[in-house]
Amino acid sequence: MPLLAYEQSFLIDSPSINPMSVFDSLAAWLESTHVAQVVGTSMWVVASLSAVHVVGYALVMGGALVGNLRLLGMIVPSVPVMDVVRPASRGIAWGLVISIVTGVLLVSWKAVAAIGNDIFRIKMLLLLLAALLHFAWQARVARNSGVDGAALKIAGAVGLLLWLGLAVAAAAYILFE
Amino acid sequence: MTLLELCEWLYETGPAVLVRESPYGFQILVGIHLLGIVLSVGALMWLDLRLMGLSMTRARVSEMNRSLAPWFLTGFALMFASGLLLFAGFATAAYGNLFFRIKIAVIVLAGLNALYFHFTTGRTRPEWDASPQPPAAVRFAGLSSLVMWTIVILAGRMMSYTMF
Repeated sequence: MPLLAYEQSFLIDSPSINPMSVFDSLAAWLESTHVAQVVGTSMWVVASLSAVHVVGYALVMGGALVGNLRLLGMIVPSVPVMDVVRPASRGIAWGLVISIVTGVLLVSWKAVAAIGNDIFRIKMLLLLLAALLHFAWQARVARNSGVDGAALKIAGAVGLLLWLGLAVAAAAYILFE
Repeated sequence: MTLLELCEWLYETGPAVLVRESPYGFQILVGIHLLGIVLSVGALMWLDLRLMGLSMTRARVSEMNRSLAPWFLTGFALMFASGLLLFAGFATAAYGNLFFRIKIAVIVLAGLNALYFHFTTGRTRPEWDASPQPPAAVRFAGLSSLVMWTIVILAGRMMSYTMF
């Protein structure tokens, strides 16, 4: 039976790509990969990945801690801001590479469930916000404004809070998933 | 009293029972334990990297130490207190766990490394405090601390998968 005109217009007007469905199909694809099946069947693989994941996490958090504390003027006040923020950012970047690679593998075999988990979503959102703030805004603030200006302190405080939120969400995900 | 008997006794103490049986006691303690890692290893690694001459080399070692010590000492205090309670709650299972044994052995070594540094190598600090590239013994102390705390994290995580 041919579609009525209003049915056709409904089909055309409805959004063809829903962002959540993109994540859902990505998760479903990830779960179907061979790698996901290998990870999902071996406790030793999961445990080792998880151990390396936490080392990456410590690198990220160590960089975030030291970089933001310096922006706040709370540590090594005689060292120029960029002399602390630059290595701290490198620590964060390396930590992110390690924890994202291991994190994707860790979640691969249960990706659909993870994407539907509220704590996991909050964790990913905080990670995205904290990393964006750090690399896009915070580093720029540190480069442009005078030493220990109000902008540096605000950037440091907001950064620290976001990373702390990520740490709490990460712990909650381990414990309540 | 053997170590195992000590663990069995610890397992039955009031705080240990509370860790096992309170609704969120275990989760809260693990959360604090993980935050302790961030503060302790997260701050200490920068002092270690400075000792190795790899990072923030324009800062004096003494200033790095003075600035970072309150953070990593607070972190270690949180980690030890929560770790001790978690251990008490599952003392008998932990006792037989290989990764737990590795973790404790390496923590002891890391502590000895820090003490040795404090009382011997560290005493010559005025000579290299401002130097971007401290002497080999100092760089080695930084490297061993970094490696050992990494092993502690790895073993700690492996332990939680193999114990329950």
